[in-house]
Amino acid sequence: MAVAEIIPPSRFETSRRLFLKRGFGSPGSLAISVIVFVVLGWIAWSFLDWAVLRAVWRQENVEACGQGGACWAVIDARHRLILFGTYPFGEHWRSALAALAIIATVVLSCLPAMWQARRLAALWVLGFASYYLLMEGSLLGLPQVTTDGWGGLSLTLFLFAAVVLLGMPMGLGLALMRRSEMPVVRWFAMGLIDTIRSLPLVTTLFTAAVVVPLFLPSWLEGDKIWRVIIAFALFFACYQAEVFRGGFQAIPKGQVEAGKALGLGYWSILGRIVLPQVFRHALPSTINMVVVTFKETAIVTIIGFFDILASGKTAFGTAEWAPYYIEVYLFVAAIYWVFIFSLGQYGEYLKRRMTLSER
Amino acid sequence: MSKFLAAGAIVAASLAAPQMAAAQSETVKQIEERGTLLCSGHNGSYFGFVEVNDNNEWKGLDIDLCRALTTAILGDPTKNQIVPLSWAQRFPALQSGDVDVIIKATGWTMGRDTEQGLQFSLPYFFGGAQLMAHGDLGVTEASGLAGGTICVEAGTTIERLVANYLNTENIEHNMVSYESAAELRSAYLANRCDAFAAWGPFLAVLRATEIDNPDAHVILDDQLSAEPIAAAMRQGDENFVDVVNWMLAALLIAEEEGVTSENVEEMAATPPNPRVARLLGAEPGIGERLGMRDSWAREMIAAVGNFGEIYDRNLGKDSPYKLERGLNNLWSHGGVLYAPILD
Repeated sequence: MAVAEIIPPSRFETSRRLFLKRGFGSPGSLAISVIVFVVLGWIAWSFLDWAVLRAVWRQENVEACGQGGACWAVIDARHRLILFGTYPFGEHWRSALAALAIIATVVLSCLPAMWQARRLAALWVLGFASYYLLMEGSLLGLPQVTTDGWGGLSLTLFLFAAVVLLGMPMGLGLALMRRSEMPVVRWFAMGLIDTIRSLPLVTTLFTAAVVVPLFLPSWLEGDKIWRVIIAFALFFACYQAEVFRGGFQAIPKGQVEAGKALGLGYWSILGRIVLPQVFRHALPSTINMVVVTFKETAIVTIIGFFDILASGKTAFGTAEWAPYYIEVYLFVAAIYWVFIFSLGQYGEYLKRRMTLSER
Repeated sequence: MSKFLAAGAIVAASLAAPQMAAAQSETVKQIEERGTLLCSGHNGSYFGFVEVNDNNEWKGLDIDLCRALTTAILGDPTKNQIVPLSWAQRFPALQSGDVDVIIKATGWTMGRDTEQGLQFSLPYFFGGAQLMAHGDLGVTEASGLAGGTICVEAGTTIERLVANYLNTENIEHNMVSYESAAELRSAYLANRCDAFAAWGPFLAVLRATEIDNPDAHVILDDQLSAEPIAAAMRQGDENFVDVVNWMLAALLIAEEEGVTSENVEEMAATPPNPRVARLLGAEPGIGERLGMRDSWAREMIAAVGNFGEIYDRNLGKDSPYKLERGLNNLWSHGGVLYAPILD
């Protein structure tokens, strides 16, 4: 008996007791809890009933659709359109491999073992080159697919990865320029950041996609997709620069001065003293920016790209599948969730890893 | 700027060779050099006009017209490239040369024709705003909706059209706006509105496909507007407009004369009348005067069929939508489509 009193109750036991006490302790809270649980249970049950029990899964059984259950047959029939857009049907393996290349590149970049400028640069060049070679194809002797035909999940992932990977160094550069001691550089960075931030993303992208070719010479024009990626990356960089600036401001001046007193140069102070702390301070907002950017890639639909959301809309844009748009939206939402949830979890891991030194 | 260049090139060309009757269009020349025709598609679909099938291939009325034009110019229906464009992007994309022509359910308006620097072809489709109401109300025209609730999509031209029309006709009504077509549809189906207003063909498609009992809903007779839908091109290349116009004309003449994708070779070998002979290139003229091959119309009809076949396949009786021809029939069958004279 004495032993039981000394050992503190487990965390599970504590929260269970707390739950029972707070939720069911008094008649009032008991009533509220019961009502809440009944309603929640009813919602969960109706969803389960709709999405699983009465659902139609296979394309062959499409006649059974529309009788109160979900019609996942639309996904069965149209998933390749949702995942790959209008990429030629026989070449989908290329689009799938290219998407895997981007995922692998992003996952590898997230591993601490890769965090050296040379390794990261090699990885990114390799990752993006394999994506381009597979998708475009003519350099590998495969049938050529121009960027107009790129679409679906592969395009969304590519846009996201390219924007973040280009935008992150650009953002850091802008943040440093904004702290520069040379007024011209400082004013330029401030002007650029404030201009881009005061324009909606849609306007920026529309300008890059549609207006720029009207005045650029055709040899400088490049493909629409590159112009859009650069504009999007610039947009990302301007916000990210402000995130970094917050990180810089959190560092006491004395550290830089101490570095100088020790005779360290600008780059040594920056790379060994300032930046590691800046990254740590800026981490939560950076993860936030990255997640928002992943979702914002859907905006490219207004300049005619077939990102995964636009492909989804096309999937139910025909007479046969028109009634089942909810199923398609749920499918696309699930895909977004998988990626964004993983990003969030990675952010949590980074935070734990970085705060180890502070414990 | 490219517009000025193009205009300059045309001026230079007309000074250099004023005697040439069959001046080839600059745009056609570019298309031939490139080997593909760049057409507009739509990201996100547009029932019957632009869709993507289960094999990720484009289909629809607008797509078939693009294929027809591709066959006419390049002799091969597969040599087109569909560039997905959003609504807002289509005109700038045409001006910057991302596409050669816009065939995308685009209405012919004065502003587009003048300020936006576009040229339009013959209209190939007529459709306007209409109202759909619950059948149990027993109404057949808008006056029967007095005192009712009418739902529209917010911020569209339809919203303004409905208000204008009902106010002019002195029909009392409550208007409720919804942000998206999906919301609008579910509000209507949940009986929150007595009627809802949208583009006629869209209503018909909706009634045919998404509503369990199509007979329980009526599309009212009132035409709130009639928009001529036409292909749009850049200003400054009249010869290209000629090509697109005669492409549409040839499809209509073929339908009038009963030339179909199946009997076109027979008809070309033994033309029943001089008009068919000229159309199919058995008598010369149809190609040379446009700077093209004499066989272009024959190849085009063999590839995509005549206008009636294209309509039936995508919107009409062979499609899930079963849309009546109505206004979009030949003049000889009570519609308003007619071709210029092939002399």
